[in-house]
Amino acid sequence: MNRPGAFARVLLHVANIAVIVFFLLPIAAALIGALQSEKSLQATTRALFPQEWSLDNFRVILSGGTQTGAIFEQATYLPANVKKIYNAIANSTIIAVSVTLLTLIFASLSAYTITRLKSRWMGWLMSVNVFARFVPIIVLMIPLYVMFRQLNLLNSIWGVIIALTGFLLPYGVIILVPYFATIPQELDDAARIDGCSRFMAFLRVTLPLSAPALASYGAIVFIIAWNDLLIPLILNNRSEFMTLPVVIASLVGDVHVFHNLMMAICLIAMAPSVLLVLLLRRFVVQGLSAGALKG
Amino acid sequence: MPGATKGSDNYRFGREMSPRLLGVVMNLPTLLTLALVLAYPIIYAGFLSFHRVALGDLRRGVYPYVGLSNYERILSDPLFLLALKNTLVFTAVTVSAEVVLAIAIALLLDQKDIWTSRVTRFLILLPYAVPPIANGLIWAFMYNFESGFLNRILFTFGIISHPINWAGHPSTAMLALTVPYIWRTLPFAILLLHAALAGINRELFEAAAVDGATAWQRFRHITLPLLMPVVVVLLVLRTSFAFTVFEEVLAITQGGPGDATWVAVWFSYKRSFAPPFDIGLGAASAWVLAIIVGVLAIAYVKTLYRRIT
Repeated sequence: MNRPGAFARVLLHVANIAVIVFFLLPIAAALIGALQSEKSLQATTRALFPQEWSLDNFRVILSGGTQTGAIFEQATYLPANVKKIYNAIANSTIIAVSVTLLTLIFASLSAYTITRLKSRWMGWLMSVNVFARFVPIIVLMIPLYVMFRQLNLLNSIWGVIIALTGFLLPYGVIILVPYFATIPQELDDAARIDGCSRFMAFLRVTLPLSAPALASYGAIVFIIAWNDLLIPLILNNRSEFMTLPVVIASLVGDVHVFHNLMMAICLIAMAPSVLLVLLLRRFVVQGLSAGALKG
Repeated sequence: MPGATKGSDNYRFGREMSPRLLGVVMNLPTLLTLALVLAYPIIYAGFLSFHRVALGDLRRGVYPYVGLSNYERILSDPLFLLALKNTLVFTAVTVSAEVVLAIAIALLLDQKDIWTSRVTRFLILLPYAVPPIANGLIWAFMYNFESGFLNRILFTFGIISHPINWAGHPSTAMLALTVPYIWRTLPFAILLLHAALAGINRELFEAAAVDGATAWQRFRHITLPLLMPVVVVLLVLRTSFAFTVFEEVLAITQGGPGDATWVAVWFSYKRSFAPPFDIGLGAASAWVLAIIVGVLAIAYVKTLYRRIT
């Protein structure tokens, strides 16, 4: 293709800058908000940058409300949910890691059978998974709330793990199947001639060769599980079982919580998933497009 | 050796399972999970939607049969119909804006000798990682009437002289919901289209350029037709997911001002888990939503998603 002319190049740079500004705008606003005191935020309602920067919002949150810092001398209302932030971080981590591992295991077992075993119901199973991905969470959560209430699974980490695993499993099958299909059947056959059972061929040949696909899907599931709100919001309402998104949701409409604190909590909550996406960018990109297009 | 009579079917771990049995065994975890967390709850939601399930009924564990009355009540409830209408408007606006923006940005990312495109490519996934509820809260802060950043920016550039109540005014509240949602979900759309662009044979463009086709003609007659299949996939996926928007509504407008931004999932959530805790009614409304999305899903499975056999 011919290279764009000088004028076109300037236009393309301008367009890129517009896109970059749009994508960074909310993050920048959250950072500026979180790095100043409420007093400095209210001092002027028209300036973009604060008169003085401060880390006190992060200090007060990450110390569980014990270190209030200079800017919190007059007003130090911190909701109980925020004081238990380490609890929420632990819950979010346990849930996201467990869901990622469980769905990786279950989905790779199923994806292998769908690509390797020539049974008629495998095509049907694949269709079920594609279809299941569209089921809105809300239509699952209302009956699951009633079911888990009877099973005493409300206000527990287990209920959330079970629900999230079920909700994300179909997506895993959808992402892994096209990748497994690209691994030559001959490799399986060779392992079987060497005396491996089909299952051992899966463990020793298919799985190791699928490491990139497993990383793609693992990263995507971790992010979705880490970010999910509706499932833990409906199942858990006691603060010791809350995840980070539920803690954030509990601040909505609480007029006594400073905006600055809210922004700091949002930034803390997004840090792990943002870091993961920037580190594993290539895998996430592959997984997302495989999950939608390949077949 | 006792097990050796079966001959060559012997492996180190004993007789190998038949493919049929292995298929069942290896799929057991998935089938159990799907049955427990997807299939049964959907059916159970249908069951609940024909019964009265209020707090007292939950405590007793007995749900009186009420026939179609939950469905009659939602379909005659102006708020539910408004929520459906708002959902449709929200979906139409976000999905069409996303497709147009995503095509434009994907083309931009494809410019390999523009260095700013590489920066954009690096940042493009960032919104995908942001928790939707945090995204909502950040935008709620941006929209804030007194100290929000949107008004600050507009003041700084001298565009407005009085602050605007973006999320609190009926005429701008819906718009205030669409922008954050587009911000968060645009990366996925860009990514799919960018992947599709990368798969287009460059020689097609060179041949067209030799024939004297302008850039617009090349886009209109080569790029766009080749992107169409992906655009259709994107339309179906994004439409069905936009129908279930929830977090941004919770964080930014809570359905307000008035009822201006009630959407389908918000209706089901509020009816079920806030006073009057009418879970039967909530289940009925969630079922209506599931049927709408289900029709889209069937279209996707039948026509778009090529099955592996």
